[in-house]
Amino acid sequence: MMGPRISNPDENGWVELNMGPQHPSTHGVLRLKVKLDGEIVREVEPVIGYLHRNAEKICELDYYCDSMIYFDRMDYVGAMNMEVGYLEAAEKLLGIPPPERVQWIRVVMAELSRVASHLVWAGAFGLDLGMLTPFFYCFVEREKILRIFVEACGSRQETNYMSIGGVYQDFNDKLIHDILEFTEQFPKKLEDIFNAYVKNDIFISRTKGIGILEPEVALDYGVTGPMLRASGVDYDVRKAEPYLVYDKINFDIPVSHKKDNLARFLVRFEEMRQSIKIINQAVKKIPDGPYFNPKAKKSLMIRLRGEGEVYARTESSKGEFGVYLVGDGGVKPYRVRVRSPSLKNLSVLPYLAKDQMIADMVAISGTTDLVFGEVDR
Amino acid sequence: MVEILEESTGKDGRRVLKVAKENLVQLMKELKSHGFVHLSLITGIDRKDRLEVVYHLQNLEKNEYIAVKTETLDERVPSVTSVFTSANWDEREQYDLMGIVFEGHPNLKRLFLPESWVGHPLRKNYDISKVQYINMDENGEDYATFDPGDGW
Repeated sequence: MMGPRISNPDENGWVELNMGPQHPSTHGVLRLKVKLDGEIVREVEPVIGYLHRNAEKICELDYYCDSMIYFDRMDYVGAMNMEVGYLEAAEKLLGIPPPERVQWIRVVMAELSRVASHLVWAGAFGLDLGMLTPFFYCFVEREKILRIFVEACGSRQETNYMSIGGVYQDFNDKLIHDILEFTEQFPKKLEDIFNAYVKNDIFISRTKGIGILEPEVALDYGVTGPMLRASGVDYDVRKAEPYLVYDKINFDIPVSHKKDNLARFLVRFEEMRQSIKIINQAVKKIPDGPYFNPKAKKSLMIRLRGEGEVYARTESSKGEFGVYLVGDGGVKPYRVRVRSPSLKNLSVLPYLAKDQMIADMVAISGTTDLVFGEVDR
Repeated sequence: MVEILEESTGKDGRRVLKVAKENLVQLMKELKSHGFVHLSLITGIDRKDRLEVVYHLQNLEKNEYIAVKTETLDERVPSVTSVFTSANWDEREQYDLMGIVFEGHPNLKRLFLPESWVGHPLRKNYDISKVQYINMDENGEDYATFDPGDGW
């Protein structure tokens, strides 16, 4: 039997409220133990682990190439970024660099995935604030990206498109045509969605000046990604430590100094515009050549052996995604460790939500962009 | 300056410093004052005869990167939460899954698994064939049990 949802008031007159794990505004299975003083939040304790599968242990029990599907299921709305993150580490450890063509293809796919992830976030954030309409516009656009993924590899979300040293299927002319068609019509649609949010007075009053995150605090808590850049710290792994071919592409990192919910919203929308810019450049620059490294043919894949330690970081749609691989010379990794940006971004929520209204706490947890496949792993 | 036991370069070209665990917190403080403000990751590795803890740090302004390693034979390592707040959940996670006890941690509870879970799953000698079931008690708190008939 379930205990009472709201406790009796304690000596301060505060009551304890349990939010989640099944709650529409917790984006999955986040459970928040909240101490309320009227409508003001005094204390928050996030309780996580409801989606815990221990992917790190499962990866240790599998061959290097098999771990890919577990990484897909971490950040399931931006799965391509997870694949890129794992392969950055695995390819360095195994000594199998991807050919030039593959690197450009991966950039295109990772950026499409970032746009899809931000669109899901934008739609869900609207729902958190009670706006239903933009959600549909966001998901229509996201569906177009998922159609491109289906064209490339046959799967919508957990794509499993990339493999060690290459990709499973080559890009063809139709795919490139589809991508260019998407990037041509998308910017106008994006502005429509953007205006649906920022021209709404209620949206502005719910976000502006709420959830102020100072840059020192953000760094101290290990916050990365759009949340950190909205606090005024210009840090993006794509520029700080370029991987794939990001150093050959011309794009900007949006930074805002307003530090509030609205700043995080604006930074994510500007990131989508920059992603389209990256895709447009990268699609046209994909060189000819093989689409996998011959050292990692499918028949040889499970015989790959790795020794040493590699820590590789990439910029996923949520922030700095790191994979630390330790190999002992066998066909399976000795230790796999994942830095999930959502987990660190969630850890700052008790600080941000303290002494805010309970409705604002929902808005703040919305801007942290949580995906529980990744938080719990 | 803290005594460094060993300095090497990893396969990914990153500097690795090895220190005794007694000097860990002091070294972290010095690195933080030198601009390494971003603690990226804390990893525990089970080397069977000993436990290894690796800290990945980043200097955002100079874009420098460093890894700090320490070892323990008795599962105990000093906590660095007094230097980096972000270590809080990382250390809880490593305590939960790897069984490393971080001394001086303000709230060393399991992060993912319920408190009554037996064993630490990422240890190499953990028996994954023994299934534990998670159930909810009368107060709405989770607990782990070996008995499949308990509410399942």
